[in-house]
Amino acid sequence: MMSYDFSVVLRFSDALTLGLVMTLKLTVLSILIGSVIGFAVALARTSSNGVLRFICATYVEFFRGTPVLVQLFWIFFCLPLILGVELSNLVSGVIALSLYMGAVSSETFRAALRTVGPEQHDAAIALGLPSHVEVTYVVLPQALLRAAPPLLSNSVSLFKESALVSAVGLADLMFVGQNISNTTGRPVEVLTIVALIYFVIAFPITRVVTVFERRMLRKLKA
Amino acid sequence: MGNTMTVAPAQGDGSALLCVKGLRMGYGPVEVLKGMDIEMKPGERVVLIGPSGSGKSTLLRVMMGLEQIQHGQITFGGDPYITADKGKTKIDIGVRKKIGMVFQHYTLFPHLSVLGNLILAPCKVAGESRSSASERARALLERLGLSHRVDAYPAQLSGGQKQRVAIARALMLDPKLMLFDEVTSALDPELVAEVEQVILQLAAQNMPMMIVTHDMWFAKNIASRVIFAAEGRIIEDGPPEQVLGNPREERTREFLERVFHIKT
Repeated sequence: MMSYDFSVVLRFSDALTLGLVMTLKLTVLSILIGSVIGFAVALARTSSNGVLRFICATYVEFFRGTPVLVQLFWIFFCLPLILGVELSNLVSGVIALSLYMGAVSSETFRAALRTVGPEQHDAAIALGLPSHVEVTYVVLPQALLRAAPPLLSNSVSLFKESALVSAVGLADLMFVGQNISNTTGRPVEVLTIVALIYFVIAFPITRVVTVFERRMLRKLKA
Repeated sequence: MGNTMTVAPAQGDGSALLCVKGLRMGYGPVEVLKGMDIEMKPGERVVLIGPSGSGKSTLLRVMMGLEQIQHGQITFGGDPYITADKGKTKIDIGVRKKIGMVFQHYTLFPHLSVLGNLILAPCKVAGESRSSASERARALLERLGLSHRVDAYPAQLSGGQKQRVAIARALMLDPKLMLFDEVTSALDPELVAEVEQVILQLAAQNMPMMIVTHDMWFAKNIASRVIFAAEGRIIEDGPPEQVLGNPREERTREFLERVFHIKT
């Protein structure tokens, strides 16, 4: 029987930390940019402009209907050819994951916007609120509150999906882990620790989502 | 009233607070209001009654600028503020802001506290300072017996409290006319009185109002004038003793008997 020596992993803690930082940088940037795209697309899909609605719907369905890995490969290898510019690995990774996050979160925002009922609009008109005040102080806060739990879930998914960038050579946590596991020949120890690092970060967030959701629904159920 | 009637600009005589002239509105082929004329004097409290589908609530929504109209004009204090013009409805928002409205289903903003609901419009539209608006809001809530709920959220309030907060929110904008659209219809019976009490208080301060209600006790106690409408037309219009006590129109009599079991 094989004996396991987890102290091997400790020797590479600096490299793993660098990988984790890359993963977090990539994920946080993509979540922020993706959420802005998602909200804009959700609003655009309520627009009266049919062309705009069609473009947005196509974008969303395309990115939801194709594997993230294929999207990553396409943006890493095809986009530079088409644009004729070299993109750094991180920039390509952020573009790919932001576009994916944008498509997924736009559905989240769309559902949240729908829950702000027409009677809220009536109240806003009755109080003489101009439409920019209505959007900023009535619609947006309610939509954001309702979207927050699913948006956090989307973010956790993206954090986990981000491991796919290792396939295109971006030195994230997964990529570093794989390298260490290959050079040391100790895949069990290294990959177990890598999995645990992902879990330790993702799990508390999913718990927060559950608690937050319960509290918020109580508050907004009026 | 003929379908082709045209409307003279309703400047009206200075004594009318509100003047509805030749009002017609509908959704596509379905006509909801089939030509309505109402002149309301300052200090009047008009109660609108009628079967469902008579257009009572629609009339209030039109007066609030919430619906498109096909024909007619409404003036307030002599100023035309809702005008049908070639299929479009023109609304003068400056004039319309003098009118406040409370709806059947509370329509409070659920993400804002009671105080937040009250000061949003004064701060963001009228440009009042937060401290000044909050001070007015607290004083108003105290008068309505809600000072202990200032920081509560709508979900934590009873139906009666929600509706009183909705009234307070409208009063924050210092309206010159209040519209109440079935404001007690969604309430449990034991909560109706506290809301009607607040409206009666307003009446005692001479606030002009137009009220749609199905509560006969309330109608009798608050109305200075009752309008009975059916199928988008005004059938009878007069003092409460007449319309509720001794109606001239057979349809009014029949409605009161059928719905309220009032033998006249």
